[in-house]
Formats: sequence, structure tokens, C-alpha cells
Amino acid sequence: MAIDFQDISDTLRTVHISGRMDLVGTDEIATRFAALTAAHGRRIVVDLTAVEFLASIGIRAIISNAKAMQQRGGRMVIHVGSNQAVYKTLETTGVDTLIPLFADMVEAQQAALA
Amino acid sequence: MLDLPFTAALEIHSRMADVRLASEWLARSGADGGVPGDELGRLDMCLNEALANVLAHGGQSAAAHAIGLQLQVSTRQNAGQASVHISDAGPAFDATSARPKLQASTLADATPGGLGLLLIQKNADALSYQRLDGRNLLTITVRWA
Repeated sequence: MAIDFQDISDTLRTVHISGRMDLVGTDEIATRFAALTAAHGRRIVVDLTAVEFLASIGIRAIISNAKAMQQRGGRMVIHVGSNQAVYKTLETTGVDTLIPLFADMVEAQQAALA
Repeated sequence: MLDLPFTAALEIHSRMADVRLASEWLARSGADGGVPGDELGRLDMCLNEALANVLAHGGQSAAAHAIGLQLQVSTRQNAGQASVHISDAGPAFDATSARPKLQASTLADATPGGLGLLLIQKNADALSYQRLDGRNLLTITVRWA
């Protein structure tokens, strides 16, 4: 499981996650994921295109951080690209109604800044 | 004509690293048994969520005894079904009749967690549960044609 980030501007950051977001994988990145989304008022695109498997524990981490961001005046959107497995899991669990999902990274960044 | 059924078994313990071992075993065994990729992915999701429930709620009784896993695959021409049987010694819990948590309509109302049952029930084609000799026996089945 790997996580890294790129600051596009002072307010916009992309966080890239890859590997299996199962119990082990989510535990490996949880602290860094929370830290990377913690800044006040920041807009973040979480890139899940390279996530091979997304379990409920991974969704829990995403929702927790998105909710914390919202409470601090920030916003999270998700870039799924063409990752159908991850998209289906997010849709099945209703996450797509809570956090916007995008297939296109540029659209995701525009939505995060809107 | 019905092909010979394929079976594989594994014992793990109630700890996080063993859930990953179970997934790796399922991937290998499922491929050996001819389970298509999409169905193997659905089984993997159900297995992960069921084992996560055992870790979260199984307590000392689940931790003190091995968790038994068995994969059974049967095929007929291009159709088939695969079942994973999970046996644990935790407190009685019927994942087939438990109702998943209601989904929140806004992020502000969302409470993290409680999505595992939903993922099991949405990804499985059939579920069955028995309480036998102090153990939970959950069977998760996926089918293809």
C-alpha cells in the first residue's frame, strides 16, 4: 500500500493511493492519509485509480477524512478514472452520494476548487 | 456434464495479517478452480468483510480458536458456482439476516463504518448461516453463466 501527494497550488492537493485498501493496507496508510487531508480549508482530490481492492475499512477512512475536511471548511472529491471495481464499491455503498466521483482528473480538480 | 468439484481449505487466526493471507489463498485457489475474475473479486470482498467482522466482534472466543476456510467450486460447461465456507468460534452472528446500517444522505450525517454487511449482501449471490457446535458457519456463494 502506498500513498503520496502533489500540491497543485496553495489550496489544491492531489493524494494518490495505490494497492489494496483492505485491513492491512488501510492500517498502513491511515495516519498519513489523515495528515495529508488535515490542513484548514484545503481542497483535495483523492486519486483511487491505482487501488486494486477497496474494502469497507478503506471506505471508512475516506469518509472520516472527508467529513473532517468539510468541518474545517475544506472539500474532498474522488478521482476513480476507469477503475470499475472501485467505482462499483463506492456506488454500492452510497459513497457516490456523499463525495463526488470523477473519471477525469481535470474535472475532479475543477470540482474540488468550485 | 458436471465437472469434478474443486475444493481447497485453509486455517487462519483472528488477526489482521491473516485476512490478507486468506485473500491470497482465495486468489490462488480460485484461479486453480477456474473461478472467473469478476466472481473471484466478489468472493474476495465478501471474505474480507466477513473476516473483518470476526476480528471486530468475535472477541476472545474467536481469537482462541482457528478460523476454518473452505472453497468449493463446481462447474458445468461455462457455468458454475463457487462457495466459501467460513467457520469461527465467536459469538453467534447471522450475517444473512442482519440488516445493514441505513446510508446517510449527506456527508455531515454520515457515520463511518457499518458498510461491511452491505458489501457482503450486495456481492454474494447466495448466503447461508448455521450455528453448529458453538461455531458460526457462514457460506458465501457466487455464480456465473
